[in-house]
Amino acid sequence: MSTSQSIVARVSHTFSAPAERVYDAWLDPTRIGQWLFATPSGEMVRVQIDPRVGGCFNVIERRDGEDVEHIGEFVELVRPTRLVFLFQVPMYGPGRDRVTVDIRPLAQGCEVTIIHELAPADAEMKDGVTRGWTDILAGLARVMGERP
Amino acid sequence: MPPAANLDHTLLALADPTRRAILQRLSEGETRVTDLAQPFAISLNSVSKHIRMLERAGLVRRRRAGREHLLSFTPAPLNAAAEWIETHRSLWAARLRTLDTMLQAEDAALVSKPSTSTRKERSR
Repeated sequence: MSTSQSIVARVSHTFSAPAERVYDAWLDPTRIGQWLFATPSGEMVRVQIDPRVGGCFNVIERRDGEDVEHIGEFVELVRPTRLVFLFQVPMYGPGRDRVTVDIRPLAQGCEVTIIHELAPADAEMKDGVTRGWTDILAGLARVMGERP
Repeated sequence: MPPAANLDHTLLALADPTRRAILQRLSEGETRVTDLAQPFAISLNSVSKHIRMLERAGLVRRRRAGREHLLSFTPAPLNAAAEWIETHRSLWAARLRTLDTMLQAEDAALVSKPSTSTRKERSR
């Protein structure tokens, strides 16, 4: 995968629910309000979603009196195995990170893997980052005395 | 400065092969600017520009000893990158756990309230 060398947060989770049901939970406004950007003490203020490629979502949750807006634009939608969207939380910065949701059906349930790639602020750095990040981290980690 | 801006500087600094080579060199120990320029097939002036970008990113610290400028590697900004990864990993892990809990609660609701009529998916 060409994305594996940028700065990436990756996490997996196994569900007992089938892939279709997990996939649909990403696009159903009622459900999104219950889980996607919901925090225990937050209050969901707005859930808007246009679930098609090129469509956007906008989810606002009020946390400690502050409205936290989550914006996304769908790049790929392949039911029930894959969702890709460009993701931005304006409060934390102007970058639009790429988030890939891979849903792998299992004999019972499914496994979901999220790949969240930090967006470089401009194109100039993108190439170099993609090529160089892994090398430099590995090299420097060695120098800093960490085990590879 | 917000963390995102810091990370941008870090990424930009690391995006160039010469700057990465400079960092590798500095990670072996404090180095004079003039010595640093030597192995690179570019001018001292050009090396200086690279060094300034590394300084702006906080990856390199400069100190003066008499007329010499000595550079050393300061890896703290790399920790910020590692922190970004860890923060987002735990955010997504928590979201997926919440989704799992929600789907299982829906299942439990279906089981505990069996109905003879055809049940549709819970609408709320």
